[in-house]
Amino acid sequence: MIRDPHQHARELIACGAQGLTDSQQTGLRAHLDGCASCCDYAAAAEQLVRSLRSVPVAADLALVRTTQTRVRIHAQQLRQRQERLWLVWMSCILVGLSAAITTPFLWRGFQWLGEWARVSSPVWQVGFMVFWISPALAASLIFLARGVHLTDTNETSRG
Amino acid sequence: MNAAACYFVNGMESETSAIARGLRRRDPDVLDRLIEQYQHRLLRYLVYLTSNRELAEDMFQETWIRVLERGHQYDPKYEFSTWLFSIARHLTVDYLRKKRPASLDGLLDEEERVSLDPPDLRPSALELVAQQEQAERISAALVGIAVEYREAIVLRFQEGLALEDIAAVTGAPLGTVKSRLYRGLNALLPRLKGAQA
Repeated sequence: MIRDPHQHARELIACGAQGLTDSQQTGLRAHLDGCASCCDYAAAAEQLVRSLRSVPVAADLALVRTTQTRVRIHAQQLRQRQERLWLVWMSCILVGLSAAITTPFLWRGFQWLGEWARVSSPVWQVGFMVFWISPALAASLIFLARGVHLTDTNETSRG
Repeated sequence: MNAAACYFVNGMESETSAIARGLRRRDPDVLDRLIEQYQHRLLRYLVYLTSNRELAEDMFQETWIRVLERGHQYDPKYEFSTWLFSIARHLTVDYLRKKRPASLDGLLDEEERVSLDPPDLRPSALELVAQQEQAERISAALVGIAVEYREAIVLRFQEGLALEDIAAVTGAPLGTVKSRLYRGLNALLPRLKGAQA
């Protein structure tokens, strides 16, 4: 397909001089030397770019200060959230470790208690399960209640 | 690559690496410096992207909050401005889509299209009037063309971004960027014939 050389030259002009390769620039210069209409187009484009650069749109100081303050506050909130999350993770790891260490002893303790009280195995095993799972259940309920409370608070403050 | 170019590239990389480190640490001082450094360029881009100064200022703040949150994603191989403009663009497009799910240009009412008041330079009263008129004409002409053309022109000729960087910011192929520049220029030139006198 043969491209219209004028359109091609104008497309190159529209890219700006810095966007062209050396060969494109040489080709464009050669075309402009022999084409008055594209030369006018290039001059108009150059003038347009100069005009565009002459339009100052400046951010005012209040906007910059407000943004900086918001960013600082948000950075602090993110840091606190990260610290809380770190604490939660550490707690989870510690709880997991302590559970792994103490569970066999606890199991034997319940077994001994079951034999001493002369109850059947399923009874002391259920007792062990309830005792073992109750801290996690309590913690889940507390977190759930806190989550619901936070959601309600956020919705109230937004509404 | 010659020594000067190599020095320039290394210099740029160390600067962007420092920015990336600061962003990963969420260092408020680094962010303060970046906000000050890029305030005018970012706001100018947003003003032309949204055609609405108030919205542009909101997006300006949201952009920096997003920069803080997503700072760890910044790749120092690229210019910070490219990443910054790309975040600003995504936020603005998302906001405008949620507000009114049509084309970006159609999202803005005529009355919302404010002229972009330039700050006073005041060399003389006459020059001031002429400058203001010129700026208003240019702003009006820019606002009058399709938003994708306007965006390409502002990024190329006002912000001085390379074609590849514009493609990265807008997520458009390089060929599309070139064609937007060409069409944008063709749309702007007749509108500004009088303004350039």
